Amino acid sequence: MSAVATAPPAGVSTPTQGAPKPAAPNQGTPKQGMSKGKKVFLSVLAAWIGGIVVFVILFGIKPHKAPDVVSGVFSPTNEFKLDTWFKLGPVAFNKGVLYLLITVAITIGLMTYIARRLKQRPGRLQVAVEMFYNFTRGMSRENLDEDMQRKYFPLIATIFVFILVSNLIGYIPLPVDSGETFKLFGASIPSFQIYAADTNVAFPLILALGVFILFTYEGVRHHGPFGYIKSLMPGGIKGPIVGLIFPIEILSNFLRLISLTVRLWANLLAGHMLIAFMGGELGVLVGDQYVQWALLPFGVGIYLFEAVLIAGLQAFIFAILTAIYLGGAVESH
Amino acid sequence: MLPATITPLAASGSFLITPNVGLMIWTIVVFLISLSILRKWVFPLIGEALDKRAKTIEGDIDAAAQLRTDADKLLAEYRERLHEARGQADEIVQRARSTAQSHEAEAREQAQALIAEGKARAEREIAEATRRALAELRSEVAMLTVMAAEKVTRKSLDESDQRRLVEEALGELDFSALSAGGQGHPANN
Repeated sequence: MSAVATAPPAGVSTPTQGAPKPAAPNQGTPKQGMSKGKKVFLSVLAAWIGGIVVFVILFGIKPHKAPDVVSGVFSPTNEFKLDTWFKLGPVAFNKGVLYLLITVAITIGLMTYIARRLKQRPGRLQVAVEMFYNFTRGMSRENLDEDMQRKYFPLIATIFVFILVSNLIGYIPLPVDSGETFKLFGASIPSFQIYAADTNVAFPLILALGVFILFTYEGVRHHGPFGYIKSLMPGGIKGPIVGLIFPIEILSNFLRLISLTVRLWANLLAGHMLIAFMGGELGVLVGDQYVQWALLPFGVGIYLFEAVLIAGLQAFIFAILTAIYLGGAVESH
Repeated sequence: MLPATITPLAASGSFLITPNVGLMIWTIVVFLISLSILRKWVFPLIGEALDKRAKTIEGDIDAAAQLRTDADKLLAEYRERLHEARGQADEIVQRARSTAQSHEAEAREQAQALIAEGKARAEREIAEATRRALAELRSEVAMLTVMAAEKVTRKSLDESDQRRLVEEALGELDFSALSAGGQGHPANN
């Protein structure tokens, strides 16, 4: 586009001047240059494609499998193995225990720190903790009556914060992979890896078992043993169909234990495995260096998705289901 | 249910889905420690602080509402006073105007009275002066008449003749022309 294109036609005069209006030089022309975001995106894209090309040129597309991969010694799942590091009598320490200890230290440390320094005008950390507290209290109010709320709010809030902290520290790389070590000043240091205690089924299972026992106890206490079993049946069902529905309801009640466990465990395990695969392990398995580079952006994307969304979401789901199950156990159909 | 589901898989050697009993115990222990500490020392403090702040905010809102009510009341009062002041000012202006008007009318009346009085006094003085002039004129005429008659007759006239002659002369004279301005006929004075 040019000034000629945007100028008014010859002979068309403005009412005030009686002469053709001079054309604005940039009027109607497309915006010059790209936005900063677009530039960054294109640069990253170019680096990514260029990297693939470089890897292909350097290593070719012929697989170069590592000996451990060929012999089957290396397995991506090995990093989730809980090797015992040392024992104190019957008590065994492994990385799962380390993550639990870190979780409990951060949970108690952070919450106590905030609780001891509560101010009338809160800082960012206090606002976050207060938001969490209000959110959990609201969740309890919606699902539990006054008595149950007073009794179980601390449990629900602790479940929420405990799982949340455990999930979040699971995305910080720490030197805990005792199966793969590297030398630093002569010392064997475990490789860095991302791991979470709840990638082991023991963690969510014991919590879910605790919740299951508690809501069953509350149901029995409130309705009586037979009343509780009767309360599992949906209201309004009579006749021979009761014989069909009743076992299903009993089964679904027990399945809560499994669904509560598997939801948290599988999400965290699958997330960590995906990050590991996309972050390079798939490339190691197939033996193609360029595959590692090609999948890296997906690994980063999944990492961010898991850390930002899944960690909080799974903690929230476990906590709110605990509240729902506890509330449901004491209400009549 | 669950152990039955897990056992065959665990037996196959998959550590991924085999619950680590040690970790289970660790989990429940550290969780219960966390729960007891948070329940005893953390949640009550946060709850208390939030309730306190909620009460403070409620109090602030109430105070703000009260302030607003007071301000509205004060504003209404000021408006009323302003309205009253305007009314009073209008009344003062009206009163001043009417006072000025009455003063003006009074002054005009006084001026008119003074003018009328002056005019009447002037007329009276003119009339008096005319009367005196006419009297003088009459005595002059009488004296001249007597003198003229004595010269004509070459004798002195006695008092009765003089009176008669004067009367006749004065009767023949018309003084009305001297009393201009409608002051009445001099003969009548």
